[in-house]
Amino acid sequence: MGKLFNELKQDILYQHGMNACLNCGVCTAVCPAAEFNDYSPREVMNIVQSEDDELIEELLKSDKIWYCGQCFSCKTRCPRGNSVASVILALRRLAIHYGYFAESEKGRQQLIAKRVFGENMLKRGYTLLAQNISPSHFPELGENWEYYYDHMREMREWWGVPMDLENSPGSHRMIPEQDMEEVRTIYQKTGAVSLMDAVEKGMEKKLGSKAEVEKYWQTWLETGDSRNYEIK
Amino acid sequence: MKLAGKNQAWERHQKQVPSVDEPGGNLWGCFRSCFLQSAAPYTEGVAYKILKNDLGIELREAPGHTSCGAIGYHGDVNNLETQMVIAARNFSIAHYEQGVDNLFSFCVTSFANYTEVIKLWEEEPDLLEYTEKTLKETTGREFWIPHVSGGRPSVVHASDVFFANRHKLAEKAKYSLKGIKATDHVGCHYGKIFPGEAMGGAEFPQVLVGLLEAFGAEIVDYPERRHCCGMGFRQCAFPENRDYTAGSVYKKLASLKEAHPDCNLILTNCPGCTVFMDAEQGTIKEVLEEEFNVSILDYAQLTGLLLGYDPFKDCGLNAKAVPVEPLLDKIGIPYDKSKTAEERRRPF
Repeated sequence: MGKLFNELKQDILYQHGMNACLNCGVCTAVCPAAEFNDYSPREVMNIVQSEDDELIEELLKSDKIWYCGQCFSCKTRCPRGNSVASVILALRRLAIHYGYFAESEKGRQQLIAKRVFGENMLKRGYTLLAQNISPSHFPELGENWEYYYDHMREMREWWGVPMDLENSPGSHRMIPEQDMEEVRTIYQKTGAVSLMDAVEKGMEKKLGSKAEVEKYWQTWLETGDSRNYEIK
Repeated sequence: MKLAGKNQAWERHQKQVPSVDEPGGNLWGCFRSCFLQSAAPYTEGVAYKILKNDLGIELREAPGHTSCGAIGYHGDVNNLETQMVIAARNFSIAHYEQGVDNLFSFCVTSFANYTEVIKLWEEEPDLLEYTEKTLKETTGREFWIPHVSGGRPSVVHASDVFFANRHKLAEKAKYSLKGIKATDHVGCHYGKIFPGEAMGGAEFPQVLVGLLEAFGAEIVDYPERRHCCGMGFRQCAFPENRDYTAGSVYKKLASLKEAHPDCNLILTNCPGCTVFMDAEQGTIKEVLEEEFNVSILDYAQLTGLLLGYDPFKDCGLNAKAVPVEPLLDKIGIPYDKSKTAEERRRPF
């Protein structure tokens, strides 16, 4: 039993998610992510139960932990009441803490998550904003969505869900600054800000400089595919 | 045997949600969804109209309530500790500023997240103490836990409120689903994380089927009915990962088509399912040249249509990828046929 496993064991999500897995494989049978990717929740539970730090480190550096779609189908079906999706959350936090996330392609996408979900919450109090669902990044939404996007304000007025109103209830309103300050303080105090900082630092270490991190980010913004940034 | 099992499961998964005729059922605090407001804002709009105008519910929401942060939690940019204190802050605002005891959320991930933290507070006294203390330190606010369902610590989802009032809604409906085949797709974060907190559980969820039945639809089953839509978090958010979403939608719809080729309506209660099960049909059509043409409607959109709200202006069917007119024709809902499909969708 090593340092990584010991740390994992302290995580409440691990404690609640792992109740003596018998490796029956129901989680993998029902898992949507296992169907489309080189991913098996059963394998993840196996590795974790080995308590072998070398194997756990290898897992944390791989794409595998990032494939989980967090649907919790595994939790519903597990005959022992385990929740692989919760164990995955604990593993992901550990991967970010040690910078291992930056070793895999899917792990590096954490920079994008941090700069979208995380920064939205700190700036506007929402994890998603109307402007995030842009036609260039969501071509599936089609031409009707393109029209909506170009006429966002009028369309939302027309539908009765106006945006960016100040000090008002409702959808996409501006949250009063005093409330935003409370949210930022909570994010600071509960460790979310340091988790997000660890993402920036891990990427800088992996890519070599802050400038390269910005190039990675720009590549994603412009092409919608972080794989277009080549790791040197 | 099959029916007996279903009845037993239903008994185990009863959840008490007051209708407007019961104590506490006509005053609700509500938490808006950042996902819904971004990806399908009209849905929240029509839900509001129905709850206020047709059911006479007073809805209270605070200008200062924020997202629950759960997209960041499942997207790995914050911690469980963050989730607990943000939830406690939203609860505190609703109770002490807005004076409400009953709360629902418009997002299934918020519903699951609030349920998760409430259960943790029950099971782990240290985490309850941590949350109370940190909430006080960071905001000066008092801690409060909602007890919505059956007087036990709990919150509910907006679709639960529609379910509780389904017979009243069906009585007011101008149109019916008689002769229409339909099925449900219950959001994973509504039914799978805490099946005991879902109306009917994960095996026999009734929250959407109950609505469809009240409106007269014929419910159909298909093998992949419980398969996730593949929204994920980092999966749907980043184009490079969306093959997972498209693949999941394909698997579901191919299964439905094989079992019931004449079923063209799936009812949903999650913003992710509502948006992506519709949108990915466009991708599938382009890539595989295979058309499903299944209308994916949110419970509030469908209720709005049947109550006589305008399909485009009120129910927001402008932005869908799958044309909705064939379904409207089948149900008998009128719309302006002097306009082209494009004109109906592009009012400015």
